Amino acid sequence: MLVKYIMVFGILYSSVYMMFSLGLSLAFGVARIAYLAYGALYTLAAYMTYLFFNHFHLPAYVSMILSVLSVSVVSAVINELIVKPALKFPVSILMSTFAVAYLIEDVIKNRMGLTPITLPSLTGVRVIAGVPVNEHWFLVLATSFVLLFLLYLFLNHTVPGKTLRAVAESWEESMIIGVNPLRVLRITMIIVGFYAASAGVLLSPLKAVTPNMGWSPLFTALAIVILGGMGSIRGTIIAAIIYGFVEQTLAWTMGSGIASIAPLIVIVATLVIRPRGLFGEEV
Amino acid sequence: MALNPLRRRGGLRWFITKIIILVVLFVLPFTGLVNEYWLSVLTRVNIFLVLAITFDFFSGTTLYLNLGHSFIVGLAAYSLAIFNIFAHIPVALAIPLATITATIISLLLFLPSIRVKGEYFAILSLLYPIILISIATTQPFSAYLGGEAGLMSDQLLLGCALKLSPEHSLFFLTTSYYLLSLAMAVAAFIILYKLAYSDFGFTLRAIGEDEELAEATGVNTTRVKLKGFLIASALASLAGSFYAAIKPPITTDFVSPDSILIPILTAVIVGGLGSIVGTAISSYILFIIYEALWGVFGVWRTVVYMLILIVFVVLKPEGIMYQLYVKARKVLGGGG
Repeated sequence: MLVKYIMVFGILYSSVYMMFSLGLSLAFGVARIAYLAYGALYTLAAYMTYLFFNHFHLPAYVSMILSVLSVSVVSAVINELIVKPALKFPVSILMSTFAVAYLIEDVIKNRMGLTPITLPSLTGVRVIAGVPVNEHWFLVLATSFVLLFLLYLFLNHTVPGKTLRAVAESWEESMIIGVNPLRVLRITMIIVGFYAASAGVLLSPLKAVTPNMGWSPLFTALAIVILGGMGSIRGTIIAAIIYGFVEQTLAWTMGSGIASIAPLIVIVATLVIRPRGLFGEEV
Repeated sequence: MALNPLRRRGGLRWFITKIIILVVLFVLPFTGLVNEYWLSVLTRVNIFLVLAITFDFFSGTTLYLNLGHSFIVGLAAYSLAIFNIFAHIPVALAIPLATITATIISLLLFLPSIRVKGEYFAILSLLYPIILISIATTQPFSAYLGGEAGLMSDQLLLGCALKLSPEHSLFFLTTSYYLLSLAMAVAAFIILYKLAYSDFGFTLRAIGEDEELAEATGVNTTRVKLKGFLIASALASLAGSFYAAIKPPITTDFVSPDSILIPILTAVIVGGLGSIVGTAISSYILFIIYEALWGVFGVWRTVVYMLILIVFVVLKPEGIMYQLYVKARKVLGGGG
């Protein structure tokens, strides 16, 4: 009986995790940076949806799409102002993205307060294979698959996408064949923002929305990316599936308290035992 | 010992200037120029200064950003509380005990992660305080660790046997905290300064520059890193347990990155990574600005702080305090 819950939610969570850890994976792979601001972008997207929906009274779907677009722009701005100048000094990128994350969250906290807000979501419950599932999950699932497919198309069948993969492999070599890595970086960071925002917009209606909620998805994404291997998209996908199921197993057997520490344990264990993850390059 | 190019000197005038500054700092509470509020601010500045220079000593030199520095502080604070509450050890005795405990535990916990390279170490170290906060606030353990409300340990009350009148005892208390914190800050500064500009410090910086090269020249980088970490965490634990002793209750605030790590990072960047002096000066100035900003910006002062951090990290990662310090020394010292 429990197994059915784990199976269903394992699939659901895996696909969602796959979507948003891919965003982080791109940042790591292409930009070679620990984009600690990812969680804050997630939070920002959720709050922007709230703003568009509750303050400007735009329809729900419009709010969601608008906030995804805005956060992508924010990510691009962060890239221009902060990541690019700091590239010479990798230590700086870590600190500055960390600071940006707190900056965004603090601004949100000051403007919106600490009390959780609710976001529009599809209500109603459907039963799948004997497991009650919130209808909103179907939206999440559908969108995740669409976005994943789009990413797949982009990376494998378009020139900019393949260029992105080339830069992820090696900056120097792609420069030799005439690629401008900084331009690719810009596009990458827009995509990263897009995926972080999509995750934020889709997932946050299911949980309590507070200014600090971005860290938990960030660590989950980090855990998956590290487990799969930094810079390996294939690794991220596989790790997302593994992680999704493991986490759901923990959540349904031992309670969500333990499950929330799961990403942290995974990261610690991976970095200590096999730092390059499953499919990553030699560290 | 070979000539260490990092050693530097000022003149006699500079030395006297430093002594004067020290004397002024120690005599400050008795001059009546500062009220109790600012004395407590300065006390916190001193504690914060120790945390910042310990961070700089290890992370500023080796460039292994220990984003979990607040974990050490929180560990010391909680150890103090546990010793005091569950073992009924008086606070004054609990401080050194907590220091030792926290140092040993953090050393053990960081042992496996020191082997991990540069940026991964930063991510990994960031997790430690998060894990500690999660443990402290989730069910099985929060009963022992006080959860959100924190643990209420005794406050360090010195000479409370001296039955002083209320205003006098407040003054006595704040002053004694201030003097203790100042002594601790000065001692830590001298220790770390001497070490950072010694051959050991040189090795730390070599690791920061190019770890593989350092290893190639025969340096046992793991040993050196561990030693540096040990020193930094020992002093940080001392500061942490002292802070816990004067400011109960002990909550997750002691561990949270935003109340501890961000100000430290700002101080270190503005002061100059690897410069103990620069970090010390910028800790003072930035913290006082932080307090003063309350009136101007209110809740937004953290945002302002972080903007400062970002601006400096992006535009001037080598900081400005150290350069200003050197200029000041040239002007006032006249030595070479």
